[in-house]
Amino acid sequence: MTFNAAALLLLILGLALIGWLAGRARSAMLAGRAGRKLHSRPQYHGWYVALWLFAPAAIFLAVWTSASPALITNQVLTTPAAESLPAFGFERGAILSDARSVAQGQQAAVRLPAAAPLVKPYAEATAHYAWIGIAAMLALALAGGAYAFTRIRPEFRARTRVERIVMLLLLLASLVAILTTFGIVLSLLFESLRFFSLVPVSELLFGTYWNPQSGAPVADTFGGIPLFWGTVLIGAIIAMLVAIPIGMMSAVYLTQYAAPRVRRWVKPCLEILAGVPTVVYGYFAALTVAPALRNFAVMLGVPNASTESALAAGIVMGVMIIPFVSSMADDSINAVPQAMRDGSLALGATPNETIRQVLIPAALPGVMGGILLAVSRAIGETMIVVMAAGLSANLTANPFASVTTVTAQIVKLLTGDQEFDSAKTLAAFALGLVLFLVTLLLNIVALRIVKKYREAYE
Amino acid sequence: MNRDTAPTDWNAPAMQSRIARRYAAERRFKALGLGAVLLSGLFLAFLLFVMVGNGARGFTYTHVAVPIDFKATPLTVDASRLDDPDADQVIANAGLSDIVAFAAGEALGEGGSDVISENAWKEVRTAIKADPDLLTGKTVFELPASSRIDIAAKEGAKGELGARVAALKANGRLSTGIHWPFFRNADATDPAVAGIWGALKGSVLTIVIAFLIAFPTGVLAALYLEEYAPKNRWTDLIEVSINNLAAVPSIIFGLLALAVFINWFGLCQASALVGGLTLALMTMPVIVIAARNAIKAVPPSIRDAALGVGASPVQVVFHHVLPLALPGILTGTIIGMARALGETAPLLLIGMRAFIGDVPNGICSPSTVLPMQIFLWSDEVDRGFVEKTSAAIIVLLILLLSMNALAIYLRNKFEKRW
Amino acid sequence: MTQDDLTIADPKMKAEGVDVFYGDKQAIKDVSIDVGTDLVTAFIGPSGCGKSTFLRSLNRMNDTVASARVTGRITLDGEDIYAPSMDVVQLRARVGMVFQKPNPFPKSIYDNVAYGPRIHGLAAAKADLDSIVERALVRAGLWDEVKDRLGESGTALSGGQQQRLCIARAIAVDPEVILMDEPCSALDPIATAKIEELIHELRGKYAIVIVTHNMQQAARVSQRTAFFHLGTLVEYGKTTDIFTNPKQDRTKDYITGRYG
Ligand SMILES: Nc1ncnc2c1ncn2[C@@H]1O[C@H](COP(=O)(O)OP(=O)(O)OP(=O)(O)O)[C@@H](O)[C@H]1O
Ligand SMILES: [Mg+2]
Repeated sequence: MTFNAAALLLLILGLALIGWLAGRARSAMLAGRAGRKLHSRPQYHGWYVALWLFAPAAIFLAVWTSASPALITNQVLTTPAAESLPAFGFERGAILSDARSVAQGQQAAVRLPAAAPLVKPYAEATAHYAWIGIAAMLALALAGGAYAFTRIRPEFRARTRVERIVMLLLLLASLVAILTTFGIVLSLLFESLRFFSLVPVSELLFGTYWNPQSGAPVADTFGGIPLFWGTVLIGAIIAMLVAIPIGMMSAVYLTQYAAPRVRRWVKPCLEILAGVPTVVYGYFAALTVAPALRNFAVMLGVPNASTESALAAGIVMGVMIIPFVSSMADDSINAVPQAMRDGSLALGATPNETIRQVLIPAALPGVMGGILLAVSRAIGETMIVVMAAGLSANLTANPFASVTTVTAQIVKLLTGDQEFDSAKTLAAFALGLVLFLVTLLLNIVALRIVKKYREAYE
Repeated sequence: MNRDTAPTDWNAPAMQSRIARRYAAERRFKALGLGAVLLSGLFLAFLLFVMVGNGARGFTYTHVAVPIDFKATPLTVDASRLDDPDADQVIANAGLSDIVAFAAGEALGEGGSDVISENAWKEVRTAIKADPDLLTGKTVFELPASSRIDIAAKEGAKGELGARVAALKANGRLSTGIHWPFFRNADATDPAVAGIWGALKGSVLTIVIAFLIAFPTGVLAALYLEEYAPKNRWTDLIEVSINNLAAVPSIIFGLLALAVFINWFGLCQASALVGGLTLALMTMPVIVIAARNAIKAVPPSIRDAALGVGASPVQVVFHHVLPLALPGILTGTIIGMARALGETAPLLLIGMRAFIGDVPNGICSPSTVLPMQIFLWSDEVDRGFVEKTSAAIIVLLILLLSMNALAIYLRNKFEKRW
Repeated sequence: MTQDDLTIADPKMKAEGVDVFYGDKQAIKDVSIDVGTDLVTAFIGPSGCGKSTFLRSLNRMNDTVASARVTGRITLDGEDIYAPSMDVVQLRARVGMVFQKPNPFPKSIYDNVAYGPRIHGLAAAKADLDSIVERALVRAGLWDEVKDRLGESGTALSGGQQQRLCIARAIAVDPEVILMDEPCSALDPIATAKIEELIHELRGKYAIVIVTHNMQQAARVSQRTAFFHLGTLVEYGKTTDIFTNPKQDRTKDYITGRYG
């Protein structure tokens, strides 16, 4: 007996349908008997019953689905069979999950011998909680449905009620965004504060040596400057050196010179470039671009040339950002009134003089906003740097050397096999907090500028 | 004419050469623009070329013809147990791998068992389960070659290995064909049997969950903000949150998921459920923004008309505004979903980086997703994985491109000007 | 069309049999007209009759509209402006244009006026440029109002001031012809009066063509008037004749406000 959420969801949906039909029928019948006109059309009564039936049960189902695995495991751990388990670590998790799979019928036999004694407790616990869950859910559904059903009267304002519930739903949905933001801020802040109780803030922000040892908060190994520099070098310097000129010039060419037919074909191509997943860019950077650049650097005699170079990651990231810059510039240039362009051309300026001296200066605020957004995107980009930029925290301006970034280090710190509470893991959250704050600032400033600019040419 | 200056002499040589210079600058500038566009195009073409060039071979594999005579070397299993759920275990325990290795040695001479993949017997096992009669006779199996032989056969090789492959080819033992295990299996350490089915299924589960959560929430939130929200500080806060969330680095969502879903709620690690939830939070703002734009584009006259015949505000929205805005909303949603499908970074942090050798069989079982599989394979030392990585990339790109094409089609088909 | 007493001996610009098409749609049909050197010519006619289209073909601004096509012959000092040898940049410097809505660049007042001379290289030194800017602003009647704030943005001026700035900007490149497309339609009566005064001042220094919907304005500022209707030139003559004694019924109907 397992707790199958999908099947149960179908069950309460079915019940809700029955409730809908019953509510509708009853309201029509009552109206007919009383010979009075209904305040709301029968289907609203139906909806009223269905919602009361469905919503509490569905909420319970969601809570129960997420809570019950932990409850089940807890119960299993209290059984004598669990005493022989290793205290923690990967093996413990593997044994538990093996036993769970067998107990819940997803797997025919145990793979790890140590899991065998746990199968029975697991099956028992699973059944136990499944019964509790199903019973509670059904009780809730029936209680809700019955409550709503008894309230149906001809004069009952079912439509207003239903609409109020719908409005509440809409409001809740829009609160998810705020909840997410708060969730991000709180979780980052909470873990970061724990980190800062081990390592001072000033060290993370201004320290120049980064080499977190295994878990222990060893002093002077959490200096973030090399990471911040690497992030800036790759995301804000190299990538932008590639993306801004090419993106801007593409936008200028497409808006000012290209025939409409060319434009119609090239824009989707740029969109494809924007739609390529970052892991593909990362693979491309590591497989093709980085070795080529290294050979080039060796040919030039650059010291410290590495196959994991800042340049490879930066260039590929720049290419990834080109469509973004280009579409922002495109929008900004298009927002400049045609009259501005005509005014310049009518004075005998060439298109290039018009673009450089009138259109781009006029579009500059919008373009700047776009570039800030692009920078924010580049410094938050993860896969390309993880795959192509390397993990050694060097404080160097040599673009052929390996540097690392904030995002790459977050990934490195969190994908090892260590305790969640170690200084290393917590450091990832502190880095995340820094990254979040910086991008937040960039985004807010950029969105402000872009909005102001749009309004200026309304 | 009573000008107070002499008119400009446009034909003076200085002026003429100046004009020539200006036109030259114009041509240079235009060429620069064209160059920029071509450069982007070239980069795209190069990327696709490299991926397709490497990846096309990943869909095929070298097979070795090996006859196995089960009369001479019988596999003693109870035929009735071949339908059991643990038939795999039963056959493995009966020593099939040794029989296959022996047959390979017989057929291919010394070291013959190194020519075929060490997992080749699993293919035999699959065949036996499908047709138990094979156990009573002699059959020639097309077994996957070992990764070394496969690469040598495809790319050519020198020395001993090259001679070996040449000899096998001369005997007609080698053939190249579509590599079905690639589409059928989950991850494995041996490129001969590693496949993308596990990752593909994980991706589908993850995306479906993300969609089921993000789409309704996003659309409802957009409706609220566009149609009902009063203008106040709260609404502003929601707006700022949404606009900002749409631009927050994806890895931050991974940190959020790790802290909240895994450490706090204790949801199943590395599962499609947590992955889907994470991606849902990430795509929801994108959907809200797209949906708001689509809703904004519905002209107010339609609302006024509906209100005018006595519809309640909720009816106006659900009967009139939403249906008209739906194509626009769908377009935005598909683009957001495509982005989620290609996303890797946040999933790294919720444990999806682990090696998962099984096809996931539920939303709570450990699974991986296609981009993650690409990332994992790109790190493998075995050279056989290079082409597998590119092949997986091709599959991913095809999925993404078709989603984007669908979005563009929808956009063009339903683009309305009121 | 041209009659004996108004034949212009040495027309600055001359249009002969001009047709303008937007795609397949013909906006101007077989128009021939002379623009005199020392005269102000007014184009009048109902909305959509092609006044702007024709005006824009006089300095090839129609080139910027992808679908537009001009046939026939237009000459400036006897040179065909649509000939391949004609340089558009030079042409537009010689035939300036002022638009319906003031369109100053988002630059300082000084830079707005200096823009043309700079791109054409009309000033050798900063002092020359200063004097060109000053002279253009003086002529446009704006100097006294802005001489202390040349560094401020041109977009910060009032509508009327902006339009005079645009006129100054056109004058600064020292054109031979100035085309004005409803230069006062976005302005209030006081600003309009200032512009009209300015046109009086400029008359004789430049050949001026002005499109207007305002009959009184045409009568006040111009010496020649051309009446367009549905893409054709219906009547062209001395302004006094057109307004007091139109030869065509359509002209009379329009001027007396019976349609338009
Ligand atoms: N860019 C264009 N593309 C297509 N058709 C155009 C374009 N510009 C103008 N037209 C058409 O050409 C005709 C003449 O337009 P034009 O702007 O010259 O009229 P107008 O006399 O200046 O009118 P108004 O007094 O309103 O300014 C109109 O029918 C108009 O629709
Ligand atoms: Mg006009």
